[in-house]
Amino acid sequence: MMVVISDRETPLVRTSHIPDSRFETFQSILRLRGLLPLLLWVIGLAILFSPASLHAQSSDRTHRILVLYWDNKDFPGNVKFDESFKAVLQQSPNSRNLEYYPEYMETTRFPGKRQDFLHDYLRQKYEGRSIDVVVATADIPLNFLLQYRADLFPNSPIVFLATTSRGKETLSAGPGITGIIHQSTYRETLELALKLHPNTKQLFVISGSPERDKRYETAARRELSEFTSKVEIIYLTDLPLNELISRTASLPSNSIALYVWQQSVNEQGKLLETFEVLARIAPTASVPIYGMGTGNLGQGIVGGYLQGPDTNGAKLAEITLRILSGTHPQDIGVEGAPKVPMFDWRQLQRWGISEENLPPGSFIGFRVLTFWHQYKWYIAGILTLSLLQTLFIVVLLVERSRRRRARRALAQLNAELEERIATRTAALNNKTRELETFAYSVAHDLKAPLRGIDGYSRLLLEDYFEQLDEEGRSFLKTIHTSTEEMAQLIDDLLEYSRLERRELKSDRIELASLVDTVVEQTRREGSEEQVNFVININGESIVGDANAIHQALRNYVDNAVKFSRKVSAPRIEISSTETPKSVVLSVRDNGVGFDMQYHDRIFNIFQRLNSIEDYPGTGVGLAIVRKSMERMGGRAWAESELGRGATFYLEIPKSLEGEFSG
Amino acid sequence: MNDNLAPILLVEDRPSDADLTKRAFARSRLLNPIELARDGEEAIAYIDRWEAGEEVPIFILLDLKLPKFSGLEVLRRLKHHPKYSKIPVIVLTTSAEDSDIEEAYRLGCNSYIVKPVEFNKFMEIAVQIEVYWCALNTAAR
Repeated sequence: MMVVISDRETPLVRTSHIPDSRFETFQSILRLRGLLPLLLWVIGLAILFSPASLHAQSSDRTHRILVLYWDNKDFPGNVKFDESFKAVLQQSPNSRNLEYYPEYMETTRFPGKRQDFLHDYLRQKYEGRSIDVVVATADIPLNFLLQYRADLFPNSPIVFLATTSRGKETLSAGPGITGIIHQSTYRETLELALKLHPNTKQLFVISGSPERDKRYETAARRELSEFTSKVEIIYLTDLPLNELISRTASLPSNSIALYVWQQSVNEQGKLLETFEVLARIAPTASVPIYGMGTGNLGQGIVGGYLQGPDTNGAKLAEITLRILSGTHPQDIGVEGAPKVPMFDWRQLQRWGISEENLPPGSFIGFRVLTFWHQYKWYIAGILTLSLLQTLFIVVLLVERSRRRRARRALAQLNAELEERIATRTAALNNKTRELETFAYSVAHDLKAPLRGIDGYSRLLLEDYFEQLDEEGRSFLKTIHTSTEEMAQLIDDLLEYSRLERRELKSDRIELASLVDTVVEQTRREGSEEQVNFVININGESIVGDANAIHQALRNYVDNAVKFSRKVSAPRIEISSTETPKSVVLSVRDNGVGFDMQYHDRIFNIFQRLNSIEDYPGTGVGLAIVRKSMERMGGRAWAESELGRGATFYLEIPKSLEGEFSG
Repeated sequence: MNDNLAPILLVEDRPSDADLTKRAFARSRLLNPIELARDGEEAIAYIDRWEAGEEVPIFILLDLKLPKFSGLEVLRRLKHHPKYSKIPVIVLTTSAEDSDIEEAYRLGCNSYIVKPVEFNKFMEIAVQIEVYWCALNTAAR
C-alpha cells in the first residue's frame, strides 16, 4: 500500500506585493500639493470608498478556499473535479489572490478509521489560517463539515454538492451554506435519445456492480417507469464482461442502449472502472449507447444529458467566487447540479446523427479534424472552381457544336439558294433567248414583204415608166425611200438585238489601226463630203470585242459626219487618252451639237433630237454604242454645246471586265 | 428558155420572192430554166426525181426559212447524199445571223448570200451569181 501525502497548499499564484498603483498616485499627489483644497480631499475620499475601490481593496487580500474530497487524490472523479474547479478559479480576475487547499478524506482507503483524526489533523493544520470558503464535493465531506464546522471553520461559508436525499438536511444546517443537488438525468437523456432515434422499439439498459446488488437496475427502473409504454426496456444487469461484450454486439436494429454504471473484472482479475468497461463494449456495440456521466464521454457513448465531477466542479467554483466577491451564501439559491447535453462527435458520425438535431447549447467533444474538416473550404472552393470551369467548358463545347450546326445549316441554305438562283437564272435566260429569237424572227419576217414592195415598185417604175406621169413616178420613189428606211430600221434593230445575244470575244486591238480602218470606210462611203479628219492616237492597244468596238466607233464617226455635213469646213478629231484601267476614245466634231440637257437621252433607243428630214437615221445607232460598252464594262457618253459641235466618248477597259469574257 | 441548158433549183416559199428572183435572173440574161420547190419537203423530193432520171441542176438557190423541213435540214440531207452532195448550194436568205451562217457552212453550203431588200441590189447579186456559178465555176460532174 502506497501512502501519498498531499501537501498541495500552494496558492495558484503567489501574491504579489506591489502596492496599488492608483492609491500610490493619489498619495503622491497629496505629497506634492500639500495645500490642496478641501473639495479635492472630499473627492479623493469618495474615490477611495467607491464600490470599485472597495472591491479593489477586498481583492487585494488573499482568499483561501478549502475543498474537501471524499476519496483519495487519484480517484478519477476527484481529478476531474480538481481540474475544472481550478480552471474556473484561474479565469477569475482575482485568481492571483486565491489560495486553493484540497483535502482528501480517503474514506474508501481507510474505511474503518474514525474521522476524529481527520478533524484533529485539519484543526492543527489550519490553526491561525482563516479559510474563506469550504467546499464539500460529496455527501460524506458535507456530513463531516457539518459535524465539525463550529470547531474547524466556524465562520466559513460552505458550498456543497449533495445527493437529493441530503438536500433538505443541508439547507437547514444553518446560514452560510449553499450548493447544488445532484439529480439524475435518465429522463432527459432517454427523451433526447428517442428524439434522435424515433424508430426505437427497444431500450437496453446496461448496469451492474461487482456486488451484483442490482442497485442501478432498481434505480433505473424507477426513473424509466414512465417510458415503458413507449419502448420495450430490457435490462442487461450484472453480466460478466465477455457476455456483455457479445450481447451488445448483437442487439437488434431499432434499439438503443443506455449505459448506467458498470464495474467488471477483466481477464486478469483486475477491477475495471465503469468508463473502462464502456470502452471495452462500445467499439463492437451494434446500437448507439447513451449515458449520463461525463466520465463516459469519449469512451463510447453518443452522449446525453451528462453530469459529472467536471461540470459540478466548475459550478461549485462559480458559487465560491460569488461568495468571495461579497454575495451572501443565503442569497444564492440551492440549485440542481448542471445537466449539460454533451456528445462525442465521433459517435455522432458513427451513427449518422446530424448536429442540427441536437438540443440547443449542446457541447460536442472529440471532434476529429479530418483532412476534409480541416480543408473543407479550400476543397469546396477548388471543387466549385473546377465545377465552374467544367461548366464553362461544357457551355463552350455546346456553343461550338451549335455554331457548327448553324454553319452547316447556313452552308446548306447557301447551296440551296445558289441552286435556286441557278435554276431561276437558267429559266430567265431561256425566256430572254425565246424573246430574242422571237424578235429576230419578226425582224426577218418584216423584211420579206419589204422586198416585195420594193421589188415590184421598182419593176413598176422600170417596166411601166411610159404609162406613169410625173406624180406617179414620184410616188414610186417615195415608196422606194420608205422601204429603204424601213429596211435600215429593221437592220439596226437586228443589230441591237444581236448585240444583246451574241457572245463577246476578247481580241487584242491596236487603236491606231482600228481608227484608220473606220476613217477609211467612212471616206469611201461618204465620198461627196470633204471632211477633215484629225487623228491623235497614241500607240494604245486594248483587249475587247473587235466587232463591237469597231461598230461603236463607226457609229460615232457616222454620227459626226452626219451632224457636221452642213458646216462649211467639217472637221472630225479622233483622240485617245489613257487612264490606269482604261482607254478613252473621243470623237469630236464641229457640227450642230446638241443641248446638254439631252446628253444622256440621245443614247436611248429611237431617241432623236432632229427631224428625220434634216438628219435621216433610225435612232438606234447610239443605243447600240451604249449597249456594247455596257457589255464590255466600259462607258459611252457625250458632251456638247448647241451649235458648237459635240464630243462623243468611249471608255474601254484595258482588261476583261463586266459581262465581257473570253 | 433553152432546153439544152441544165436547170437551176430555187427553193423559196414566198411566191413574190420566187417571182422576183426569177425576174432578176431573167433580166440578167440567165437562160437556164429555173425549177421551184416551195418548201423543204418538195426540195428533198427532188432527190428521188433525180434518181428517176430528171436532170440534175447546176446549182441550188436555197432559202433557210422554209415550211416543213427548214433550209438547213434540206442542206444537211443534200450534202450527206453520196451522189448529189457535189451540187453547189448557194444559200440565199434574209438572215445575217452568225449562227445561221456558221451552221450553213458547217453543213457544206458553197456560198452564203444575204438577200437585200432593195431590188436594185438584188439585181446586182443575180448578175454576180450568174457570172460566177454559170460561167467561172467548174462543177463536179
